[in-house]
Amino acid sequence: MGFGDLAIFVVVMWAMILAVAAFLVIFVAPIDVIMFNGQAGRLTVSVVQAAIAMIVVIVLVFGLSRMKRIYMQRKLG
Amino acid sequence: MLDVVNLLTYGAVVSAISFFVIILLLPAAIRSLTAKGKLVPDAHKQGKPMIPRPAGPVILAGIAAAEIVLYLLTMNVAVLAVVLSTAIAFSVGYVDDSRMMPGWFKPVALLAAAVPLVSLDLYVGGVHEDSLNLVFGRVFIPLLYIPLIFVIMPITGNTINSIDVLNGVASGFIIIAMIPLLTSIAIFGSHEVFLAALPLLFAAVAFYKYHKFPSRIFPGDSGTLLFGAMYGALAIAGSSEIIGVIALLPAVMNSFLFLASVRRIVEHRQVKARPTILMDDFKLAASKDKTAPATLVRLIVADGPLDEKAVGFQIFKLATFTALLAFASIAIQYAILRL
Repeated sequence: MGFGDLAIFVVVMWAMILAVAAFLVIFVAPIDVIMFNGQAGRLTVSVVQAAIAMIVVIVLVFGLSRMKRIYMQRKLG
Repeated sequence: MLDVVNLLTYGAVVSAISFFVIILLLPAAIRSLTAKGKLVPDAHKQGKPMIPRPAGPVILAGIAAAEIVLYLLTMNVAVLAVVLSTAIAFSVGYVDDSRMMPGWFKPVALLAAAVPLVSLDLYVGGVHEDSLNLVFGRVFIPLLYIPLIFVIMPITGNTINSIDVLNGVASGFIIIAMIPLLTSIAIFGSHEVFLAALPLLFAAVAFYKYHKFPSRIFPGDSGTLLFGAMYGALAIAGSSEIIGVIALLPAVMNSFLFLASVRRIVEHRQVKARPTILMDDFKLAASKDKTAPATLVRLIVADGPLDEKAVGFQIFKLATFTALLAFASIAIQYAILRL
């Protein structure tokens, strides 16, 4: 029971990490083409990529934090 | 690229050096530390027996000896970068072992462990790719990759450090996490970095013999930071960053739970409310205190009290499960590459 719940917690974390990785590969990596039509400088592209990646990571941390709160409430009341 | 004969020979040599240096030096280190009075109480046992600490210098001796031989055999700069980063992380831990440092010290000082990876790549080249391996593809980020290295090294170092709460857990956990990392480096990284990773696995195996329940020596911060930073350096140099994170998930989860609870960077010993309670029968129970930080151990014992050995076993079960998830991620990436 205890291990099963923790395993589910870990699987959700794994799925969230893979979802973020997929998002970064599909949308953020080719951003110079998507947003700037291949015309922007490397520094501009890097700054935009960094900003999007940071926002995505903050969303991931927020999601994990919520998950932690729900899990702790269920387990420890 | 190395041929199969060299790969097997070099692999056997560096693994043996790391394993035997540590296994042969540890008994002497235990005697020496005990004689010098460098002992700390084993908090979860009856009578709180005094255990020698730190084993970090012996672990570094084994790993450094193996890596230096590997560098002389291959002259690969990534091997040099990995061993220098490891030595810096060890030094940071050794300072913390010798005197009680504030909570910010380890994460900040561990930034220095990223320097060899960055500087040797800039001046010599060939330490790491300028792209991040994100399972579904590689993202070429030459400008962002350097700051990312400065983020990864303190995180991996502190993550292993924070899971070193029970006998044998840090070393056993590294052994389990290294299996998928080695596999990933072998497939997506280079032969030389794969060989450079073997001394870490065999160092952890040798050290586990003395660190497992009941521990005869503790790694100390020098040992755990060394383990964690070397793991991070290998993930970077071996193009296996995300696979490395996945294999490390229970430890990442532990750090995340703690930080999300206390909302600042502090040493565990500075937190007043303890996450677990040691009962009269020496079993660990989850604290009901609302202000106590959440940790992996607290979640494990939330269903009922367990003794130290059983908690360690649960952590290893979880580590094995996440190693399987890391293997699943490797399979996904391999399938995508083949398409």
